[in-house]
Amino acid sequence: MRPRPGFDPASLVAGVILIALGALLLLDQADVIELTFAYMLPAVLAALGGIFLACGLAGPPRGE
Amino acid sequence: MSDEQPTQQMPPDPPPHTPQPPRPPLKRSTSDSVIAGVAGGLGRHLNVDPLAIRITFVILTFAGGLGILAYLACLVFVPSDDPAAPPMRWGLARIVGAGLLVLAAIVVLTPDWIAGPWLTILLAAGVVTYLLVRVVRENGASHISGVAARIAIGVVLLALAVGGFTAAAAGSALGGGIAIAGLVIACGIGLVGGAFRGGSRWLIAPAIVLALPLAAVAATDLDVRGTWGDRTFRPADVAELGDGYEMGVGSMSVDLRDLELPPGRTDLPLELGVGEIQVLVPDDMCVTTDAEISLGAIDAGQGEEGGVDVDLHDRRTPDPGVAYVHLDVDLGVGHLSVGDRFFDWERGPDWSGDDRFEQINPGTSRAACEAAA
Repeated sequence: MRPRPGFDPASLVAGVILIALGALLLLDQADVIELTFAYMLPAVLAALGGIFLACGLAGPPRGE
Repeated sequence: MSDEQPTQQMPPDPPPHTPQPPRPPLKRSTSDSVIAGVAGGLGRHLNVDPLAIRITFVILTFAGGLGILAYLACLVFVPSDDPAAPPMRWGLARIVGAGLLVLAAIVVLTPDWIAGPWLTILLAAGVVTYLLVRVVRENGASHISGVAARIAIGVVLLALAVGGFTAAAAGSALGGGIAIAGLVIACGIGLVGGAFRGGSRWLIAPAIVLALPLAAVAATDLDVRGTWGDRTFRPADVAELGDGYEMGVGSMSVDLRDLELPPGRTDLPLELGVGEIQVLVPDDMCVTTDAEISLGAIDAGQGEEGGVDVDLHDRRTPDPGVAYVHLDVDLGVGHLSVGDRFFDWERGPDWSGDDRFEQINPGTSRAACEAAA
């Protein structure tokens, strides 16, 4: 994965993952859904793993 | 016998040594790539047709997803043969990311595993070991000052992270969860927008510091609004029960020994965010219990049951006409015990502390739930 100048794919992937995680948490806090450990723990681990993996595969950000 | 000596046969000359061509290093192929060049690189390294390796990955995928895990592991740990590939110092992020994804898969496949302390212990041990090895390898054991400086920086960063986590957790548990979730989404939107302007990865750290404690609060359904401290409730009649008892944080002791029950079922809801609930009943009172605890343990006399997402649903139905209390307990993090006597029975059945009970002995009489013959 070779980033184009001015474009950081890791930021894009991390942003999408955080929007999804935030939406999940928002729905729980608004009592629309009820999350338990059985759902939350793998979701959080997968989100963190996805963010780290995206950063690792994308390499250093521009300017570094 | 013949005097003729047997002819000595000389071993044939060994074939001239032809050096084997060196095996190509194991790297992901950029020229023979379908997804990420893993099978192409493996085939080149092992001198096997990459198609056979691709078929093997597909077959292993049907063996509990092993093929996908193996492919992901190769994707993370096998470098690319592209000379413009990212430098290896970003390998740490790949290793951490892959480790977390594997942990997520383990949690999904074996949910009971998370009930024990092994996940936390393994994570902590792995991080500590990795950091120690890295510090010693990079600085050498003799560079004590460098090691000390790194440890000091690590302690400061850890303190900042713990402070941020604590503040976010407190804010979430005190009812600010929606706002914090909104901030996480805002960080995500900022990251997506910044991705096309060179990147804004610095937003990842505050987003994680906000999201993790909120996720913990959401998973435990934690709500610490309400009374804090140690409280003992001693209702004398059903009217005093009202809508039950609710507290935020602390120890809730409910003494039902003076309660006069009407025939049939009397509901008693109990709600506590963090702490301990103890319910003491007279030894001739029938009690049934439904309880949900996000993180902690329940002991109502049938043995302690603990872990995460602990549910106790009492299926027993008392005989018709029997007066009984039905406890409906909602506890975020903590311990629930229901019993008809104290552990310290030598002090007498009427003894209790000033503010709260001492430990009660879990278990109630089942005979009280049976109608008199």
